[in-house]
Amino acid sequence: MRLDDARRAPLLYCGFRPFYLATAAYAMVALLLAVALPMSEGVMGGRVAWHVHELIFGFALASIAGFLLTAIPEFTSSAPLQGRPLAVLFAWWLAARLGAVFADVTGLVPLAIASTGFILHLLLLVAAPAWRAPGRQQMGFVYALATLASMEAGYLIAAWRGVPVMPWLTAAVGVLMMLIVISMSRISLRLVNDALQARGGDHPPYLARPPRRNLATTTIALYTGVEFLLPGNAIGGWLALAAAAAMFNLLNDWHVGRSLFSRWVLPLYGVYCCIALGYALLGLSLLGGWFAPSAGRHLMLIGGAGLAMLIVMLVSGRTHSGHALDERRWVMVAIGMIITAALARTLWGLLAGSGVVVMALLAVALGAWIAAFALYLAHSWRVLGGPRPDGGHDCSAPPLAVVSCDGIREHGPGPCGAP
Amino acid sequence: MKLLRAWLVGIPAYLWSGWGAMASLLMLVALWEWGSQVFGALVLPAPVEALRTLAELIASGAAWPELAATARRALTGYAASIIAGSVLGLIAGLSVTASMTSRPIVTVLMGTPPIAWLVLALLWFGAGDATPVFTVFIACFPLVFLGAMQGARTLDNQLRDMAVVFGVPRRMMLTDVYLPHVISYLLPAWTAALGMSWKIAVMAELLSTSDGVGAALAVSRSHLDSAATMAWITAVMTLLLGVEYLLLEPLKREVERWRDQVAT
Repeated sequence: MRLDDARRAPLLYCGFRPFYLATAAYAMVALLLAVALPMSEGVMGGRVAWHVHELIFGFALASIAGFLLTAIPEFTSSAPLQGRPLAVLFAWWLAARLGAVFADVTGLVPLAIASTGFILHLLLLVAAPAWRAPGRQQMGFVYALATLASMEAGYLIAAWRGVPVMPWLTAAVGVLMMLIVISMSRISLRLVNDALQARGGDHPPYLARPPRRNLATTTIALYTGVEFLLPGNAIGGWLALAAAAAMFNLLNDWHVGRSLFSRWVLPLYGVYCCIALGYALLGLSLLGGWFAPSAGRHLMLIGGAGLAMLIVMLVSGRTHSGHALDERRWVMVAIGMIITAALARTLWGLLAGSGVVVMALLAVALGAWIAAFALYLAHSWRVLGGPRPDGGHDCSAPPLAVVSCDGIREHGPGPCGAP
Repeated sequence: MKLLRAWLVGIPAYLWSGWGAMASLLMLVALWEWGSQVFGALVLPAPVEALRTLAELIASGAAWPELAATARRALTGYAASIIAGSVLGLIAGLSVTASMTSRPIVTVLMGTPPIAWLVLALLWFGAGDATPVFTVFIACFPLVFLGAMQGARTLDNQLRDMAVVFGVPRRMMLTDVYLPHVISYLLPAWTAALGMSWKIAVMAELLSTSDGVGAALAVSRSHLDSAATMAWITAVMTLLLGVEYLLLEPLKREVERWRDQVAT
């Protein structure tokens, strides 16, 4: 039955397909709704809280779901989720988004049911193979996801009781950053070594070393914990600076010579830089109070999380649907747009005013963010929703790219007849 | 020239590797901040407060003469101890009799608390530069001496015999056989002595001189100015970290590279 379903709808061949499409679409929709949707202060904690909640638990969690539903089966050699069960999981997510959009009308209950249902369902799907796998090396994802689930529960309870919800959401940002650090280490291993291999020479292979990664996640966890328990405290300020230093420290592994400047490596490097600088700004804002903490937070969320998600979708979205990496120019334009959005929004937070230039920065940030994901959607919906070029019905990724043809790297003998 | 280029190219990577140290130091500062919030600013001022005081001290020009005085005393005593300690330790290490004889003496020197030396030095030299310099020297000397002696004692005789059999020239024996081995014992001792020299110098100044960081600490103590106290401590620590990570650590890596090469 599951196999039949998979054969009928290419969109349900693999978890990333519906979720990456939803990520890109909701990246635009959520931001526009956060600006335009009429909403009261009462139900979800106000406009800012709605914006943060939907970008974390709507946009970011959709891409995390897509990534985990593809990566965990690959890492643990287990069967991927396909067909109707995948449609059910996606329906949970969609219901949660509708619950958030209509929260003012329906109250918090539909959102609470759908959102916790979605996260718990996802958690169950990820935890089972990760636990069964020998060595249980992927359990880090499960712990992070479980923490994210508890943040959502905390948020919902706080919103229901009418107490401040932001501590739960800022804590979720910290968990999100840890998840990105863990995921990026897995993805970078392939992309950086591909770049090294493509360049040739006898450079030692790139290794994402656990001690540095653990230091980074520990400092982020410490900061997140202190920020949650003692918001606005200078202890958090120093820990944010420590997290920034630990993120920069992580980049020691990345200094692999010229391969760093290759197409798929430099943007990933940018992700780490944005997270590091974001924490540095957060720390400075807590210690000196020169600007609002939102400047740093947006830098790590747009330039860190947003860019990381775009790259992951660009890479795993194509390779796991049987296509080669997209080498066309629009990819760099989309990445540039995200970086523009990150810088404009951060600058807006640093300048903090209402002049024309300052407001223009906000418009640039909004426009660039939407443009980046519109570009992705325009170039990827066929790939994500269409059949695999190899006629398969699964999530498997082809081996390393070898042939160049019309700007798109192909695998093996391609349509242009190259060897 | 090639070596210099390789060294220069390695500088950014080495400096970048300092971020890890920075992260752990910043966690320590966070702990300091927590302590200051729990015990109050009088007991432990906030890091920002201490840094602000330090910035004021530097801006007003008050900090440099004091730091220079402490640095002068610490480094003079340190230099004397590493020269005397290394030379005498190596000589002692070459002879079993000398090693046997000197060991208990060094143990006595090591066991004598620096504060006792300070009192003696005050009696012998009075207030002035000589007291802290002597205290630093006598406290660091046994440490370096032991390191050097151990280095000379553990020289691989078989390796030496082999070099002799192959007719290795004397200069090469020194640079390729003796020196790398001895240095690997000396450098840790030198590093440990450097850290100690600063601590001892500041302590000696507290009781014996009217200038230097130690004297400044004495003044801030009498004024119950804990912000200034922490500012001075921060200044000394920063200088120490600078010397350790910018001078000694690169030197250690350069000297001990042969170990990695042997291992691989």
